[in-house]
Amino acid sequence: MSTATTTPRTPTQSPAKPKHWWSYAPHEPFLTRRNRVLWYGFLLLVLAIGAWPVLNRLINGVAVTDLTSQMPWGAWVAFYIYFVGLSAGAFLLSSLIYVFGMHQFEKIGRAALLSAIVSMGVALAFIGLDLGRVDRALITLVYFHWTSPLSWEVRFYTMYVVLLTAELVFALMLQRRTMAPAKAHTWMRILGIVGVPLAIFGVHGGTGTIFAVVKARGMWFGGLFPIVFVVSAVVSGTALVMAIHYWQARGAGKRPDTKLMQQLSVVLIGAIFVDLGLMFYEFIVPILSFEHHDKSIMAIMALGPYAWSFWVFQIGFLVAALVICMSPLKRSAGWLVTAAMLVVVGILGVRFNIVVPPLVPPVIEGYPVNDYFPTLTEWLVCAFLCAGGALAYSLVSEWQPIHDPDPDEHVDEHEEVAA
Amino acid sequence: MANPTKTEGPRWGMVIDLQKCVGCDSCTVACKAENRTPPGVSYNVVVEEETGTYPNVRRINIPRPCMQCDVPPCVTVCPVNATYKHDNGIVVIDADRCIGCRYCITACPYGARSFDFGESYAGEWDGADALQSPEYGVDRGSRETWKAPIGTVRKCNFCMHRLERGEEPACCETCIGDARYFGDLNDPNSVVSKLAASPRAFRLKEELGTEPRVYYLR
Ligand code: SF4
Ligand code: SF4
Repeated sequence: MSTATTTPRTPTQSPAKPKHWWSYAPHEPFLTRRNRVLWYGFLLLVLAIGAWPVLNRLINGVAVTDLTSQMPWGAWVAFYIYFVGLSAGAFLLSSLIYVFGMHQFEKIGRAALLSAIVSMGVALAFIGLDLGRVDRALITLVYFHWTSPLSWEVRFYTMYVVLLTAELVFALMLQRRTMAPAKAHTWMRILGIVGVPLAIFGVHGGTGTIFAVVKARGMWFGGLFPIVFVVSAVVSGTALVMAIHYWQARGAGKRPDTKLMQQLSVVLIGAIFVDLGLMFYEFIVPILSFEHHDKSIMAIMALGPYAWSFWVFQIGFLVAALVICMSPLKRSAGWLVTAAMLVVVGILGVRFNIVVPPLVPPVIEGYPVNDYFPTLTEWLVCAFLCAGGALAYSLVSEWQPIHDPDPDEHVDEHEEVAA
Repeated sequence: MANPTKTEGPRWGMVIDLQKCVGCDSCTVACKAENRTPPGVSYNVVVEEETGTYPNVRRINIPRPCMQCDVPPCVTVCPVNATYKHDNGIVVIDADRCIGCRYCITACPYGARSFDFGESYAGEWDGADALQSPEYGVDRGSRETWKAPIGTVRKCNFCMHRLERGEEPACCETCIGDARYFGDLNDPNSVVSKLAASPRAFRLKEELGTEPRVYYLR
């Protein structure tokens, strides 16, 4: 690792080799004592507020949403694809380190893997709560229908979570040097090599395919869609990892690694450019071909009731992030994290605009135009699941060396390399 | 037209004469009564399409059951095979397997599917939930929370339970304009086969290749 955190570290306990990997504690606290109270207090508050809406959903079914038979998918599906995207993006970022050997990012490797796993869990929770029959969720693994992208996805998600968990375990063993680095790297490389196509084609391209095969709906149907999904996943996943790195460092009283964030922002810039370019084609083709159905959806996006989401989040936030990352502002970690957070929120707008506007125009003229806005219950369920994800991430980070610096940086302090 | 490779048994189809439909919505009402569908679920609707501006206005009524497509997009997307094409041509839904993901609703180009949110007419008339229609020949007893078909997707099934008793679908029987014809599209001599072959016949959104089994006469 070239750049060390500048705050001096004083390992408190002697680096005696722990007996079991589960009894291991990170060398450096995840958060300072004060920040721990604030952070967990905040999360518990959100969870407490969201508990009743979740229960209400479980008792009263999907009727607690603003969905109808004409508007079958809404905020929860948008959040589901959003979290699948965060997960795939974060994982692809980790593969830069473990598969492609970009060791300048090694510091955020475990955080990227953990956030990928947790995001996938949150995504599954969202889609689970969206099912009319949550009790039958697991039969999706029993019955398989090869023409249904959703049926494939369920299997890909399962494989993906197993693979990522295995990779994280190896990364943690590497970090703790309970496995020879060469051996750990080989395993992680193998898992990464399997995982990259799985994440691109299976997990996120596949999630795009769920929409892309629906010829009944304008904007969804077409071959570009799965690619858009993958690219915007890289955008959001990179931004998420940047934000996590920054806020964790601040929370633990350390200084965020500005150089690392700048390097990540280069990935971010490239991905945002490609994303905006794809968006351009997505729009220009139906406009120039005067495709009626797609054009009506675009009109809803850009001028309709959700125009704020399109202009502020999808365009505004992404462009603002691009400007920050490419201007002298990029010298400050604070600005870079602002850009990252604009992206994390902006991509949520992108996901919302993927799901909702194409369902608004009626499939047959004469049906009523749909008018959907998530209910308070829907929003609070979203808050609950996001807070649940953040809590899960934090608890694992408290327990395992997710954010510890690379042991090579102080290898003399830790001569516990197990061959 | 009927699948020429499939000769055994009837393959049901419907023809609706738009010149005869007066837009009275009797079919919708008959369907609700027959299938005892809850609020928000209508297997059949009559779409009113208005074209032109006053005073040159033209209005047509398009009754819309499920098209029982021969290449049904709702079926291809279902992750658990809960909805599938029956040998008799009808696209059926297994309410005991459907997970309620509503993917099929997004995929149906005709808006023919509804999600059962669990609503009820219980406050409006006595005994509304005491009994359900024996859809697909399954007696489901009373309508109760947590019990299928609540939380699953529902749609017109050409009144399969009536067909099995040798009766026509309720909408055909009740139509005051005699605008609906029902029969076996496998039988070239049936009324529906002949009408479906008429130059007046067309199907909705034919360009999507869904091969609907409901024909309209313009
Ligand atoms: S009309 Fe819709 S629900 Fe009926 S078979 Fe065709 S695609 Fe499926
Ligand atoms: S809602 Fe039911 S029938 Fe429709 S796709 Fe999902 S599981 Fe299949």
